[in-house]
Amino acid sequence: MGFLIWQVIFPLIYIFVAGFAYTALIHEVPFANKRLDYPAFIASGMIGFNIMNSTLVSGIIIWNDRRHGMFEQILVGPFTRAQYILSNVYTIGIIGLISAGLITAVGYPLFFKSVEFNILTIPLVVFASITGSILFGSIASIISTRLKSSEGFNVVINTVFLFFAFVSTAFYPAEGAPKALAMAFYFNPLTYLVDVVRAGIFGNFNSLVGLEMLVLACGSVILFVMATKLLSKLEL
Amino acid sequence: MSCIEARSLSKSYDGLEAVSSIDLSVSAGKIFGFLGPNGAGKTTTIKLLTTLIAPTSGTIHILGMDAIRHPLEVRKKVGVVLQQPSYEPTLSVEKSIEKYAMMWNVDKKLQKDRVEELLSAFDLHDIRKKKNDDLSIGQRRRVQVAREFVHDMDLLFLDEPTVGLDPSARRSLLDYVKKKVREGLTIFFTTHILEEAEYLCDEIAIINKGKIIAVDTPTELKNKFGREKTIKIHIGETRKDLSVLLQGIHDYQIEYDSGTIITIRSHSSEDVLLKILQILTVNEIPIEDLSVVPTSLEEIFLTMVKNSNASSGSISK
Repeated sequence: MGFLIWQVIFPLIYIFVAGFAYTALIHEVPFANKRLDYPAFIASGMIGFNIMNSTLVSGIIIWNDRRHGMFEQILVGPFTRAQYILSNVYTIGIIGLISAGLITAVGYPLFFKSVEFNILTIPLVVFASITGSILFGSIASIISTRLKSSEGFNVVINTVFLFFAFVSTAFYPAEGAPKALAMAFYFNPLTYLVDVVRAGIFGNFNSLVGLEMLVLACGSVILFVMATKLLSKLEL
Repeated sequence: MSCIEARSLSKSYDGLEAVSSIDLSVSAGKIFGFLGPNGAGKTTTIKLLTTLIAPTSGTIHILGMDAIRHPLEVRKKVGVVLQQPSYEPTLSVEKSIEKYAMMWNVDKKLQKDRVEELLSAFDLHDIRKKKNDDLSIGQRRRVQVAREFVHDMDLLFLDEPTVGLDPSARRSLLDYVKKKVREGLTIFFTTHILEEAEYLCDEIAIINKGKIIAVDTPTELKNKFGREKTIKIHIGETRKDLSVLLQGIHDYQIEYDSGTIITIRSHSSEDVLLKILQILTVNEIPIEDLSVVPTSLEEIFLTMVKNSNASSGSISK
């Protein structure tokens, strides 16, 4: 419960503090055929960011299981290793979805001017939540099962997730960024996740978004298989 | 029926053999003790048998199933208490057992009864609401062992389950294990507390440096390797010529402590004792006290491990 509250409060600070503070610098953000005000842009970005951020906890759950000996105990239980990863991702996915719903509700006054809910809104946000949870949850699982020290785990997971958070379109658009940085945004799955969420909220589903969904789906399958394989081969 | 069948089982880590071509056969409804010094390969063997790690070579059949090909099916039928502590720090004792029951999909009604039974059997009633983080090491261990009995299983692996327990908790645990075996459970039990193995096990295997050096019942192990007995004779006076007087006796080792206590170790203790008593009587040496101590499993274990370290270690059965 505490985690869920934090998962809502944390992005709200970004939305209401950073969102309004940066309005002095960034008045409008071009998005597809629209121009969004910055609070609306960052609020929608925060939904995607929050889905990713929830999965960090998936890694922390595994890490804590290892620290307290529950990891090996669970692995000798009546489950496969894939089920173990999936159960963590599932739990975190639900938290991600709930917090995404709460942020949408709280952030609605900010983006209601630009919002265009349609029949695709919910499917797109749910799709982003599921694939995002699996994809980032798998990355967190890989990190937490490979690293042996808690210092190493904290450094690596924070660095990786810091990259994902800030080298993406969650906080700012790719347009206008230096070319190399704009390109780097598209090596980051969070960019695709945020784009799909925004397409749902602002009603601009197009073929590029479709392609981004395909990348997300493939990425989540590949990373989930990798995480499961690595966990199966892990020498305990 | 054999519950565990392992053939030529080996496990290497970076070229080092932790377990080297061992064979194991454990019958259903028995308690099989697996003894060995630290680092002998006990925990690696348990990890192999419980499908936690894959063997480098060899075969494992658990409850008739190929454990390498069907690990999940095996895990559904076995319980495991690993050597390392495992707990969820923020959960209470009661919730820990309940969550474990949930993980094993134990029927809700049955779950309630079993939790109560285990809280009582492992003397956890008074601490049922305490969080695991606030428990002592021994209490946590009791919870760890107790929760494993919440689900149905045919075979239970206990890797040094009594570590950290006080004598009374240890005895309660061993008696609970015995009770479960009478109800049909098979136990694979590792320990380095030999009194426990002697009290509990129907059969014992001794492992050293990854190799099994003996397998038998505790009684047979004693008969085979524990024929040597220790005789202590406390004589009434110091006799400097004692060693000369006892010179004619063979097949024994003798130590003279403080001049009046003679400690004799011999495989043919009865013959040696008779001869010594004769000599002492003839020479009118008074005997104040006499005791014969049979070799304990601990001494057998220490001797076997020492011999195995000295030589390459051959399998004795």
